[in-house]
Amino acid sequence: MGRAAPGYGHVKTWRQGQGFGDRVVLLAVIALAVVWMTPIVWVIGLSFKPNEILMRSTGGIALPPFTLKNYADILASSSVFGWMLNSAIVALGQTVLTLLIASLAGYGFARTNFPGRNLLFVVVLAALAVPEQAIIVPLHTMFAAADLHNTYTALIVPRLAFPFGVLLMTQYFRAIPPEIEEAALLDRASRLKVFWRIVLPLSIPAQATLGIYTFLHAWNDYFWPLVSATRPEMYTLTVGLASMQTNFAQTEGIGFLMAQAVFAGLPVLILYLFFQRHIVSAVAGGPVK
Amino acid sequence: MLRRALLTLAGAALGGLFATQAMAQPKTEITFARFFGACEGDYGTSQDVAKARGECGVMTTLVNLFNATNKDNIVVKPQIIEWGPYYQQLNARIAAKDIPTIAVMHAAQLGDYTRYVEELDGVLKEAGIDAADFTPNARTAVTVGGKIYAMPWDTHSWLWHFNIGLFKQAGLVDAAGQPLVPKTVDELLAHARQMKEKTGKPYIIMATSGAGDFANGGRGYYSWLYDQGGSIFPAGYEKADFKTPESLNAFGVFEKLAKGDYITKGLDGSGGLGGFMNGIGAVYMTGTWRIDDFLAASAKPGGALSEGYTTRVFPNLFKNQAVWTDNHSWVLPKGGSTTPATHKAALVFLKFLWDHNFDWARGGGHLPSRQSLMADYAKLPLRQYVVDIPSFGKALPHEVRRQFGFQNMIGEEVVNIINSGKTAEQAADAMQERSVALLRGR
Repeated sequence: MGRAAPGYGHVKTWRQGQGFGDRVVLLAVIALAVVWMTPIVWVIGLSFKPNEILMRSTGGIALPPFTLKNYADILASSSVFGWMLNSAIVALGQTVLTLLIASLAGYGFARTNFPGRNLLFVVVLAALAVPEQAIIVPLHTMFAAADLHNTYTALIVPRLAFPFGVLLMTQYFRAIPPEIEEAALLDRASRLKVFWRIVLPLSIPAQATLGIYTFLHAWNDYFWPLVSATRPEMYTLTVGLASMQTNFAQTEGIGFLMAQAVFAGLPVLILYLFFQRHIVSAVAGGPVK
Repeated sequence: MLRRALLTLAGAALGGLFATQAMAQPKTEITFARFFGACEGDYGTSQDVAKARGECGVMTTLVNLFNATNKDNIVVKPQIIEWGPYYQQLNARIAAKDIPTIAVMHAAQLGDYTRYVEELDGVLKEAGIDAADFTPNARTAVTVGGKIYAMPWDTHSWLWHFNIGLFKQAGLVDAAGQPLVPKTVDELLAHARQMKEKTGKPYIIMATSGAGDFANGGRGYYSWLYDQGGSIFPAGYEKADFKTPESLNAFGVFEKLAKGDYITKGLDGSGGLGGFMNGIGAVYMTGTWRIDDFLAASAKPGGALSEGYTTRVFPNLFKNQAVWTDNHSWVLPKGGSTTPATHKAALVFLKFLWDHNFDWARGGGHLPSRQSLMADYAKLPLRQYVVDIPSFGKALPHEVRRQFGFQNMIGEEVVNIINSGKTAEQAADAMQERSVALLRGR
């Protein structure tokens, strides 16, 4: 007899050890999952239906006819993998740099004293209340003046000013007992060394949360890439896929729209499938075993 | 003999030189900003315009054909963007000096862009495009302050599409089996009542719940406003007036339809289109571009339209034959032609498009912008009923800025009347207030 399948013992414990209240919670979670999954299943189902059929009705997704044409039409675009690469570069670039900047800033706010620290922190928090639309014109003008539009720099850099990330990391670092660092500081370790060797590994759950959030935000970003990356070769996947839509896509190209949604979400889903153990563990705050 | 040989040799050398020069003629690349979508899957390499269908199919095929056949070594590079945010991106491109050589533009937007696009009066002539051939509607659409700023590409308008089977069932057909089109508001309501009594179905299907559906109400409102000779700017373009009797009448038609339950409520674009094809109502309010879809649906046996489909111009219920129109056109944004060669290439391509205007009308579902093509256009199925639109179609004057803003806001108020029970008076009041903010940025 080999090892039990992962999770089996856990389920057994659940059945034996949990009471009525937990079962109600479980049922509620299952119901919520069904509610959450239904539109996704619907989207996937519609993506395999011919557009001519969907012009008449969007019901009956489980019944034939089915088609792969909606996906074939996406893949027929010579640019689609270029757009995907652009999205990957931008999303990864933003994620790595945001983690770096937010962690350093957060550590600075949480652990160091400098003149104007509180005021600066308030300014950072105030930036949370400024909507993107309010700064898009000056931002665009600045990048135009620097002749940086249609570059990765323009797609990545404006998003690095991410107050939520700074707030999240600050609060997380504040929750770590300072005694953990004090021993190292007494041993004459530099602040940077303490940060890198001691604090950063302890903050992996927060880093994971921020990383996932930043990556998804960057991957799904539309408005800034729309006005900054105006040459088709620099489009990100969201802008590129949208550009393929006909003017009447919402009525005559529903299957194609759904296939686009699935296609755009697929890389993120695949990433999650590969790293789900690490992601769940990190977000839950536990160590990766 | 020697002289002849030398002359032949010299001639050959000269010919070779010219040939080499021709071969070495550098490519001139022009950028072509447009919406209409991308469809490389179906038309990626197609050059057969006669077989192209839909806006995307025709545009893609035309560019393929031009790139493959033009003798001037011009390469047109499409820069395709989604229709919804197209103008936001165009604005951003102009601001960033990343300007396309040619760009598509709605006539309703042209008034906002005259500072940023070239005047084309002399340019069109240079390209071999005869402005005298513009339809009256197309000419008005591209002329601002007496100057031409764009090459008109089409006219599109707002129609009633009829399910003849339901009209027969309701007894609302003439001796020839064609639907009776109401000529007054009272007649409209009587027909609607009769339709409901005989078939149990609403007289009109209109999409009213999607963000993209607000334009529908605006187009209907304008059509019935113009039908009365009305205007939302009766006293200059600084102040809109939505409380005129004509404006209240236009909103009022929707109110009466909604109160009688003669118009669908809460449908989005997809629901409206599918609903018409499935026979949930008798008339579908939508554009010229849907005729071929419905003809195809009516040709299939057993469908809701299989007893017959036809279309008519949006009916005039008051005194004047008038209907909302808009136009696609091509502009040359200032700064988009970086060299004289690029500018010349842009004109060559515009002339090519001009020569293929009928292909666009046939495959793209719009009316041509050339008067000389109208006779042929009228021979296309059902187009005899819409071919006269360019002679009486109307749009807001170019002096009115932010026309899409007005259209969508009016549409939102029409939707409020239909879906939420607002009165015409309340809708007009709301528009009066909202128009102030819209005009404030003049």
